[in-house]
Amino acid sequence: MKKQVIDCDLLVVGGGSAGLWAAHRFAELAPESIICIVDKGPEDWGGLMSMAGGDFEAVLPPDNVDDWLEDLVYYFDGLCEQPLVRAILEQSSERMSDYERFGCEFFHKPDGSLKSVPQRGLPHVKLYPAQEKGRGGEMMAKCLVARLKKQGARRIGRVMLTSYFARDGRICGAAGFNSISGDFLVFRARAVAACTGMGGWKTSYGKNTPTGEGMKMAFEIGCDLQDLEFSRVWNMPRLFAWEGQTHLFPLGARFVNRLGENFMDKYSPILGPNTDPHFTTIGMALEIRDGRGPIIFDVSPLRQEDMVLLKPQTGWQKLNYDKLCKLGLDLFRDNTEWVPQMTVSHGGIAANQDGSTPIGGFFVAGTARSLEPGVYAGGFALMTTATTGYMAGEAAAKWMKEDGGDLAQISDAEISAMSRKVFEPMQRQRKNALSPKEVLSRIQAVVFPYDVSIVKNGNALSRAQKELERIREEDLPRMEADDPHYLLKLREVEAICFVSLLFVRASLERKESRAGHFREDYPALDPNGPSWLLLKPDGGDGEFVWRKVPLASYRHKLSRCYQDNFNFTNN
Amino acid sequence: MIKSIDQKICVGCGQCVAICPLDTIRLNEDSKAFIAYPDDCMTCFKCERVCPSGAIDVDPLREVLPPTFPDIPTQLGGGAA
Repeated sequence: MKKQVIDCDLLVVGGGSAGLWAAHRFAELAPESIICIVDKGPEDWGGLMSMAGGDFEAVLPPDNVDDWLEDLVYYFDGLCEQPLVRAILEQSSERMSDYERFGCEFFHKPDGSLKSVPQRGLPHVKLYPAQEKGRGGEMMAKCLVARLKKQGARRIGRVMLTSYFARDGRICGAAGFNSISGDFLVFRARAVAACTGMGGWKTSYGKNTPTGEGMKMAFEIGCDLQDLEFSRVWNMPRLFAWEGQTHLFPLGARFVNRLGENFMDKYSPILGPNTDPHFTTIGMALEIRDGRGPIIFDVSPLRQEDMVLLKPQTGWQKLNYDKLCKLGLDLFRDNTEWVPQMTVSHGGIAANQDGSTPIGGFFVAGTARSLEPGVYAGGFALMTTATTGYMAGEAAAKWMKEDGGDLAQISDAEISAMSRKVFEPMQRQRKNALSPKEVLSRIQAVVFPYDVSIVKNGNALSRAQKELERIREEDLPRMEADDPHYLLKLREVEAICFVSLLFVRASLERKESRAGHFREDYPALDPNGPSWLLLKPDGGDGEFVWRKVPLASYRHKLSRCYQDNFNFTNN
Repeated sequence: MIKSIDQKICVGCGQCVAICPLDTIRLNEDSKAFIAYPDDCMTCFKCERVCPSGAIDVDPLREVLPPTFPDIPTQLGGGAA
């Protein structure tokens, strides 16, 4: 195993949408600078964007930003950082134009205009589908990587970073290891863009790499975390993966219970089945709990002319669809069972509008910073990761120009100490050793049950907290790694445990139901209005602090809430 | 999950190794691809799509995970064993 020190001006941690955009914008503004993009997956794979459908949200004429912002304030039940979301919406059309300029295509109708699909029953928010269903996100990643190659950005894959280092309130770099060679790497950088994605539970295609170590590392150098109580519980087929439900429901699909009832009409006579998946999964959970499961996906209302938007035509999605059809699992012909499934955490690193943090030179972008409180409209992530990545790249370039300073000096002794810490699990030889996968399964078994993840209640959350604390104290130290590949898995599972504990602790703290957080024992909105829940570092598990949403200073008041459309307690 | 790699027709180009997001596949001493870490596959099909000789087969069915409804029978939408 070799030790290597790599110097750069901007270290981008995570090579997905946000990271690629941050690097691209930084390179435009500081073309002589050295940029290094590090990803724990393969070089240039594009992160989760490469698995996405490529549908993009953007405010295009005749829509206007204020109408969209009004929608999102309502959709988020007030938990909307309005200045930030306004900035995102204002530049959304520019980023979509950039993609078209880079070679990505969006779906055009026969008259030449762009096709759009409205989202979640909202009056204005809509997505613009990729031209061909199946590999839109992959094309976006390829186009961005091609730009970065021309811009001379260095890209390094298979490197998992495990800690940042900061001195005197400034970021100095990060340390980690190559998961194949086992080499130890130290990156010295004037600025760092943390584009590390969300935390999550490794539950499906495209949800297997966001495990939360980026959040943990930022917390360890003093950043606040927020929105930890929100997760994305998706509905998905029991037996296989499917990308693209954001098209299916607006175009007429629905779920029915064992009795053939379209149950979402009962829980929300206004929105019915065309709503946010968070609310659909609550409905599913209640139906299954009350003995009316399984839940079947009903495509009979879909129109033939919309099939071009729904049936995969290319890429991995087509291969997946063709193989499923051969197995007698044609989503558009056969009855398929769907289930609620915990996927990723919506928690993230608290940051200022431009992505800056209290740590000088440390910027956050994409889903590594939290934007949406557990509800999710199709195309939102591709819009927000592109725009916040762009903003963070811009802010990092400004920082470099004004405050960049010199690279930090790191002694050999410091490097050796960091290296010992990173590789310590490979020295373990426990009698009752556990594999990372075994511990992951134990964490999943605690977090997945519906009374912890969907229809939450205080008793179940308290039990989950106790068991997760036991796993943290007893099981994590028993994990061993035979090689650098398993060391990566082990570090991921440590981060998953960290995120899981924060999820249940924050869920216990929020004694109300709002946006993507439903407490059966506190089913109503807090009458005092919306507040964010932040976790502040205190040298230990952190301290929760409430921050009231400053609605008085925001343009859009909270005149109605999306949650008001649902009644889950009297049905 | 990745099901098989036919080493008789694998040409040893290593493209599947390079593209796998989870580092599931490696090359053996004979430069043939093999499934080194089967548990880590996320069924993204990237390896099967990139393989120039059609040596790789990925099963589209997803991994069975701990249940969301541990106390409700599977036939009623739950996940009780």
